[in-house]
Amino acid sequence: MSEGSNGVGTSYLLRFGPAQRVEHFVTMVDFVGLVATGLPQKFYTARWAQWLIGNLGGIDTVRWIHRFFGIVLLVAVVVHLATAFRAILSRKVGFTMAVNKRDFNDAVQTLRYYLGLEDHPAAFDRYDYKQKWEYWSLMIGNVIMILSGLTLMYPAFVARLGPGEIIPAAKVAHSNEGLMAFLVITIWHIFNAHLHPDVFPFDASIFTGQISRERMEHEHPLELARIEGREPGGHGH
Amino acid sequence: MSKRMLLALAVAFLAAPAWAEIPAEQDSCLGCHGSDPSMSMDLPGGEKLPLHVDQAAFGKSVHGDMLRCTDCHTDKTDYPHDSKPFKTRRDVTVAYYEQCKKCHFANYTKTLDGVHFQLAQKGNQQAALCVDCHGSHAIGRPAEPRTRVSQTCSNCHKQVFDVYKESVHGKAVTQGNGDVPVCTDCHHAHDVADPRAGALSLRTADICGRCHTDPKLMKRYGLSTNVVSSYLSDFHGMAASLQKGKKGKSDRLAAGCTDCHGVHDIQKPSDPRSSVMKSNLVKTCGKCHAGATADFPKAWMSHYEPSLKKSPLVWTVQLFYYVLIPFILVSLLVQIALHLWRVVVNR
Repeated sequence: MSEGSNGVGTSYLLRFGPAQRVEHFVTMVDFVGLVATGLPQKFYTARWAQWLIGNLGGIDTVRWIHRFFGIVLLVAVVVHLATAFRAILSRKVGFTMAVNKRDFNDAVQTLRYYLGLEDHPAAFDRYDYKQKWEYWSLMIGNVIMILSGLTLMYPAFVARLGPGEIIPAAKVAHSNEGLMAFLVITIWHIFNAHLHPDVFPFDASIFTGQISRERMEHEHPLELARIEGREPGGHGH
Repeated sequence: MSKRMLLALAVAFLAAPAWAEIPAEQDSCLGCHGSDPSMSMDLPGGEKLPLHVDQAAFGKSVHGDMLRCTDCHTDKTDYPHDSKPFKTRRDVTVAYYEQCKKCHFANYTKTLDGVHFQLAQKGNQQAALCVDCHGSHAIGRPAEPRTRVSQTCSNCHKQVFDVYKESVHGKAVTQGNGDVPVCTDCHHAHDVADPRAGALSLRTADICGRCHTDPKLMKRYGLSTNVVSSYLSDFHGMAASLQKGKKGKSDRLAAGCTDCHGVHDIQKPSDPRSSVMKSNLVKTCGKCHAGATADFPKAWMSHYEPSLKKSPLVWTVQLFYYVLIPFILVSLLVQIALHLWRVVVNR
């Protein structure tokens, strides 16, 4: 079971290309920046929040930093969508993130497995249902954050386009969606990318781009079979 | 207090019958300064310096039964006394200014933080000194009656007073209402902050909140006490709270109470003159928010909590997240727990 530390007996596959690795890194840093300058504004009466805001140069500066990271996020999302569209339209890659009926069946089977009602978890393709859920939550969340963030940045302009009530509604949405993103990432992403028994302590594939064949067999057997041009052999393991 | 009582007792025993409340030691000064009301001295600047002391007025003053002339006029211990080379009456006032601090040190120290002292330091002779507000010989309790306070300030700040007396607060004071603020309730008496720097405006949530969060007081007028909490939970309150008390200059980001409601000219929101009257709101918001149009004021929920009736969109979004966040978190945690349980069982 053990992987040779010098690579002997272990073959690696390329899971993420350079562009995807850079994209993840930028998103990660940007997310930390947004959380560090956003949450203290939401919880501004707390001492830690005031300490953080004070040390970052005061509320005025914090708001500008937050806007900067927000615009980086906007650009990242636009670039991501444009590249994804182009790639899918050129048919070089499939729409592997698309949610389909299989994902619901996988989720049911995996949950049944956790409860001891199935012998095996579902076998997954390139992205499992958890990864798809996280991806789409993040995408929808990003769109909500960007639109509500822009509304809060240009309230007078937005009030010219629609009812003024959009602005306090955007504030409520921005504040709650941001908190939810923070909680989901700290609980779900940290568990799956760090504390998950299969990857503990650290799933490095998004940084190195590499994934071991063994992990592929275990976590993405359908994709592995497709890459190797054979029929998937039953369920994972 | 006990010291004052002792002094009063001593006075009762020692007082000469002619001026019952004034210590006997005054006799020699009042022999000259108490008799001729026209007694005066020509100053080189052309003014006449009155030298007559109204015994009755001094006797009734707060100091009447405890201070001797030389307690304040420390240099006038013998006769004939030299006259200092004063050019104007103001020079005299300035020269005696520091006499009060011997006894009233705490309040004197406070004035050092005040805008009047700062102006005086810069050489402005008109800046208010102790006696300008309190008087000299006829000093009474400053807030008896309360209306007196604003009257005192109006001696110099007439324009502001004229605006204030027409405001919802000022009118009530004139009618003898003791609930409403007079100048010093907001500006302080001794450490009067310079309002121009903007620091006072950032503190308005505290200043106005002293009365406007007091349930007993607000009930009398049918006013809400959640005006401050609703302000603080919104954007303006957040930014203002974080900025207040910060040293150094910073752009003022956020409106305080007075930026919308007015300062000395505060009116009821139902008054057509009020800057927060519905028809005036676009203009008021526009002071900071360039390009504010007819619907922009709705961006601010007028101190209301979101409700289905008042702001259905905000209320719905809020409810959505109140349900969604716990649901998502519980789902994820349950799944993680089940997953780990399966891992443990498999071993």
